[in-house]
Amino acid sequence: MIAMKLTAIKTLSRYRSYLFPVSILVLLLWGAAVVSRVDPAVLAAGIPRGIDLLGHMLPPDWAAFPQLMAPALKTLQIAFVGTVFGILAAFVVSLFAAANINPNRAVRETMRGLLSAQRALPDLIILLFFVAIVGLGPFPGVMALAVSSVGMLGKLFADAIEEVDPRPMEALVAVGATKGQIIRYAVLPQVMPSLIANSLYRFDTNIRMSIFLGAVGAGGIGFDLVVSIRLLDYQTAFSAIIVVLILVLACEKLSDVLRTRLFGQEVLR
Amino acid sequence: MNKHPKKQKQNEEVHYQRWYRRWFWPGSFFMLLFVWCLFALNISPRQFWEGIPHFFSLVSEMFPPNWAVFTRGKVLWSILEVLSMAFLGTFLGTLFSFFLALLAAGNLTPSPLVRTAAKWLMAAERAVPTLIIILLLVVVVGLGPFAGMIALAIGSVGMLGKLFAEAMENVDPKPLESLVSTGASKLQVIRYAVLPQVAPSLIANTLYKFDINLRAALFLGVVGGGGIGFELHLAMSLFRYADALAITVMTLVVVWLAEKISDYLRRRIIGQEVLQ
Repeated sequence: MIAMKLTAIKTLSRYRSYLFPVSILVLLLWGAAVVSRVDPAVLAAGIPRGIDLLGHMLPPDWAAFPQLMAPALKTLQIAFVGTVFGILAAFVVSLFAAANINPNRAVRETMRGLLSAQRALPDLIILLFFVAIVGLGPFPGVMALAVSSVGMLGKLFADAIEEVDPRPMEALVAVGATKGQIIRYAVLPQVMPSLIANSLYRFDTNIRMSIFLGAVGAGGIGFDLVVSIRLLDYQTAFSAIIVVLILVLACEKLSDVLRTRLFGQEVLR
Repeated sequence: MNKHPKKQKQNEEVHYQRWYRRWFWPGSFFMLLFVWCLFALNISPRQFWEGIPHFFSLVSEMFPPNWAVFTRGKVLWSILEVLSMAFLGTFLGTLFSFFLALLAAGNLTPSPLVRTAAKWLMAAERAVPTLIIILLLVVVVGLGPFAGMIALAIGSVGMLGKLFAEAMENVDPKPLESLVSTGASKLQVIRYAVLPQVAPSLIANTLYKFDINLRAALFLGVVGGGGIGFELHLAMSLFRYADALAITVMTLVVVWLAEKISDYLRRRIIGQEVLQ
């Protein structure tokens, strides 16, 4: 009896250090539940509505597929063009941010700072600003994707450039090559694999973003999805969902295939 | 000086010929595709030039930022909403992911059927964009932060579940085996052999996902998830640019602070080594 009590006390004292953090966590969770209006009754009422929704969605509206092809293509084009612009900008910036290409420390630090500032900026803010400047349509979508890709890609590119084997570069400097020649013949061949692999990875991210951008006003399949749900046209919505899933999976597969085709088995990320 | 200038020149040429042969077709295909997309989307340099004066007029309309927008209770409340959505969504997502990961880990779930089902479920979730999840949830539970919170919880399962399952499969098997040999129950094995080993990666990944979810919560606001993203979108759509700038600055501060806090917790809880 006493032994049992003792082990109980022992166990309790072992967990006592957790008491304070756990109670804070519980308090925060409770507060968050109140603020985000968590209501089990709403959820309970929602479940039959969800089943009902599924019933309304099935079967998908097969006739809508031909009409959904053009928006799907547009989403793809926005993602592609946005990613390419992002890659170009990121590459130029990364040259200025790499210590072995740009000896000027002040410029380098400024570029690194800009890149990390971009990464800190939420993509939604970038998008809404571009929409406010140039209006709705694919152009703000492309620009938002390009700008939001620069921070991450630029950092990865700059790190890759700084890690290149310095010998080819030194050899070129010794024979009096210009900066452009050094970049073209010593840097580019070495960083190409990581550059392409990271760009493909970013394209995967951007295709999802591009779908979301459609819902916010850039046009494309996301817009059709939102509109069909707002119009309670659930069968068309289901068709749009299928198209979105095919798009996402196909792009992932394509970039996987390209990655392995270009670099063999080793998949860089 | 050079004994074989001719030969060297030939070598160089061969090298370039090979390089160009390898990249010529993929390169030109890529360029053609890019140009075709530019034309299809109607993107031209003109749009850049036309955007510049718009940019300056936007800036002049935004300044000075209208800080008075925060005296409206709704806007201030929406900051709390977005934080709550991200926090609770990440927490619930972590719980789901943990249980799913237990079912998906090869060393904890012997049944290959259950394991495959759990892994498939997580892979399926990863494939589904969050936009689809939130749009369906808005129909089911209505507009507002509750829908956004559930969308974030569901949206966390795919990535976190996969990472947790990988962490569990990589634990040192010796403590596990010794507990099993003393006749410990499944729960005891998880509590005393698995949890202590995976806790650092679990916490680090959860905190990292919180940062991601906070940004995702901003987007969810636009399509019906509530929060400051909705307020920002509203202010922009109503051309209230001074309000929009104030909200933007506040959003940046909140996101930045949240990131600092999660960084601090990561370092505090798991020491210097930051796992991701």
